[in-house]
Amino acid sequence: MRSPTRWEIFWRTVMGRAYPRVIGAQRERSWLFFETLLPLLQVSAFVFIYRAIQAPPEFTGFVVLGGAMTAYWLNVLWSMAAQLYWEKETGNLELYIIAPTSLMAILLGMAIGGIVASTVRAVAVTTFGLLIFRVEVSVVSVPQLLGVFLLTLLALYGLGMLFSSLFLLYGRQAWHLSNLLQEPVFLVSGFYFPVRALGFIPALGASVIPITLGLDAMRQLLFPTMMAQFHFLDVRIELGVLAALGIGFLWLARRALSYMEALSRREGRLTIRGQ
Amino acid sequence: MSTELAMKTEQLSRIYKAKKREARGGEREIIALDRVDLEIPTGELFGLLGPNGAGKTTLIKILTTLLAPTGGRAWVAGVDVAQNPWEVRHHINMVSGGESSGYGLLTVEENLWMFTQFYGIDGKTARRRIRELLEIVGLVDRAKSRIYHLSTGMRQKMNFVRGFLTDPEILFLDEPTLGLDVQTSHTLRGFIKDWVRKRPDKTVLLTTHYMHEAEELCHRVAIIHDGRVRACDTPGNLKRSLQREVVFRLRVTAIANPEKLFQHLRGVQRFSHTDINGHTELHFILEDENALPPILTVIQQSHGKLISLEKLDPTLEDVFISLVGRGLREDNASEGTTEGDRR
Amino acid sequence: MRQRAVESTRSLKMATWLGWQIESNWASPFLFAIYSIAKPVAGALILVLMYMIIAQGGLRNSLFPQIFVGNAFYIYVAMVFMGVSQAVIEDREHYGMLKYMYVAPLNIYAYLLGRGVAQAIMATVAVLIMLLFGIIVLGIPMPPATIDWGMLLAAWLFGLAGLAFQGIFLAGISLITARHNFYIGAAVAGALYLLCGAVFPIDVLPKPLQLLGQALPLTYWLEALRRALLGDGAGELLSPLSDRVLVLILAGSTVLLAVLSMGFYRWAENLAREKGLIDRQTMY
Repeated sequence: MRSPTRWEIFWRTVMGRAYPRVIGAQRERSWLFFETLLPLLQVSAFVFIYRAIQAPPEFTGFVVLGGAMTAYWLNVLWSMAAQLYWEKETGNLELYIIAPTSLMAILLGMAIGGIVASTVRAVAVTTFGLLIFRVEVSVVSVPQLLGVFLLTLLALYGLGMLFSSLFLLYGRQAWHLSNLLQEPVFLVSGFYFPVRALGFIPALGASVIPITLGLDAMRQLLFPTMMAQFHFLDVRIELGVLAALGIGFLWLARRALSYMEALSRREGRLTIRGQ
Repeated sequence: MSTELAMKTEQLSRIYKAKKREARGGEREIIALDRVDLEIPTGELFGLLGPNGAGKTTLIKILTTLLAPTGGRAWVAGVDVAQNPWEVRHHINMVSGGESSGYGLLTVEENLWMFTQFYGIDGKTARRRIRELLEIVGLVDRAKSRIYHLSTGMRQKMNFVRGFLTDPEILFLDEPTLGLDVQTSHTLRGFIKDWVRKRPDKTVLLTTHYMHEAEELCHRVAIIHDGRVRACDTPGNLKRSLQREVVFRLRVTAIANPEKLFQHLRGVQRFSHTDINGHTELHFILEDENALPPILTVIQQSHGKLISLEKLDPTLEDVFISLVGRGLREDNASEGTTEGDRR
Repeated sequence: MRQRAVESTRSLKMATWLGWQIESNWASPFLFAIYSIAKPVAGALILVLMYMIIAQGGLRNSLFPQIFVGNAFYIYVAMVFMGVSQAVIEDREHYGMLKYMYVAPLNIYAYLLGRGVAQAIMATVAVLIMLLFGIIVLGIPMPPATIDWGMLLAAWLFGLAGLAFQGIFLAGISLITARHNFYIGAAVAGALYLLCGAVFPIDVLPKPLQLLGQALPLTYWLEALRRALLGDGAGELLSPLSDRVLVLILAGSTVLLAVLSMGFYRWAENLAREKGLIDRQTMY
């Protein structure tokens, strides 16, 4: 039998690892309730805060979009970054490592599986949010909007892969790091308000989180009039930065994963459980 | 069996540095493996026998690239495990005992298929192998069951299949029958024997603390204790090394302080004792049969009653006792030895 | 009866110790300190910025202190819910210990509550940090002489107990669902955020949602805390209720929650036993 090529192993691994994520979600459907209705209620809370302080209606749209994107951020934090920790605990990690495949392929498979579930949540929140709250959108450019969305995901999941290499080494400490990154990123990335409100320099710093520029660009493309006074950078610049972040994070993730794996192997942490 | 080496280690060591609060008796370094030298030719079913904590799993982890050595070198399929771990992985697979790997929500077939994808095996070949192997281990009727519905034995059978699915050149079996019932263990051992017999180009490294498993399956056995290989030969040769001595097993009513009673007796090389159901089982390795009557006298004088007496052929456990100074079985709460100066 | 009391106390003590060991398992105390401050302050700053961009008068808007206090105490909600409900999933899927808890002669309710205590302690630290941040940095007036300490203590205790029982309800759901509901506590807390007037008066909600909000013990809890600390609640809907009535509502709802949550958990337990869910691992 012909030996499989490196690329064959890579792509088969991606599909193989994505499979449990996609199938698992279908076999236990309770997540449909928790991942659609509850986030919608959470988003609604912020909508009503703006209504209580008599904000312009476009701000409702900002919140709905931000709420939809939280699905991806939470997926990256908990189902990408933390996943290798869980895999180690169940004994799957060592089986992945001794296989002639790369952890990048494993993580990519997880990412694809995770994106499927998160997209259901994001679409539900967006659709129902826009309908229930009667938000009006004026789409400037569909290709640009799609481009921004896809590049944001690429960069975001690249960042997730980078985080996962930390978990390989730091175990439960890194779980706390994930927890730590939740609310502060909701703040600095402008999930619920235009990031420009933070000031230029803080917003620039926050741009390292791909969702910051992704959200700002998507808001500009959907609510151009209101965002004229609240936008951070031009959409084209934001597109360029997102592309660079995507390539950068993926490259860093690859380097970090092999470094962390080697370090974990030296310190004997690849098979420690029960942390 | 070929003369080509499937695995080789040279002065292989692994030292862990313990944190202060975890250090045993003040020792900051834990020597898990201590300058191990091994050569395993292709086609061999090689056994590594030793108690818990001896270093068996540490050795396997190094050879399977999960752990880096702190000293020495190791090669698997001619590839240095520390320099080229990724290359090594093309040649190996591993099955561990007591595993809980896999995804509960997936079926047996799905879990196995997923792992074949990590090795680049095409779907058709994967499905065929899965079916064949599941039939052999008697799990084919549970192929569509979700993993969390399986018993421990079934789960281990599935893990077994996962190890063999990729048809590796070198297979590591780390206490594969741990915690399994007699029937399941028997099935899996039969499977291993058959697999090796039909494939002279494949090599298996098996770690176990079950003597009979090592005797039944292995071409050669290395006895490992405290990170060091104490002996390495075929089971037959290892047992023959004890043929000069005589081995007796006595069962007596419970007696106190057996170490004090027997340690000064002439002709007693080594002994161990176990308390079983209110009786004491004594296991002696004697210089010759003349050393037996004084033992019986001591038992009588200490108000013990002899229940049974058996003369035994040396077993690997006896070899272990003679090398290490105590028995292998972990459930022995009060094993003791005489330090074996020949008298 | 005495034996059950002893069992319950033992279970509660053991679970509290265990919960603390798990939650305080930080390699770096410095990072733990950052975590304890950054998380609550970030949550507060989201609100602050929203008010600064849009509200008339910015932070001097009359609604802001009420909203800030509500948001601060809401930290308890997510953390206690998560502490209690996650104990089931952690013990079942991660540590493989849930089956041993069920085999042992311990009081499972006391055990779950104990596991939530560590989170409650951390939440208390976070709430205090938030309140101090509000007073010192944002200038929210809360002079100690004007605080109704009696009402504050009563509201705080009843509220925490109510949260713990709601956590048991969620733990029951966790028992019969898969691991992907790990964040059920946080998800439900996020949803209740909308209805209980934590960050806006429930007057702003559409009528049907107002009625839902008025049915939640959380709404009265936050209202009581605001009155105790600031001398005034948020919005008009709850203003006709006197302080005494508020506290009585809290007490009554806590008792009701205790009965309902334990009943539901018992039902979930029976279902889990029937379906063999107590030791299943669904990890994917």
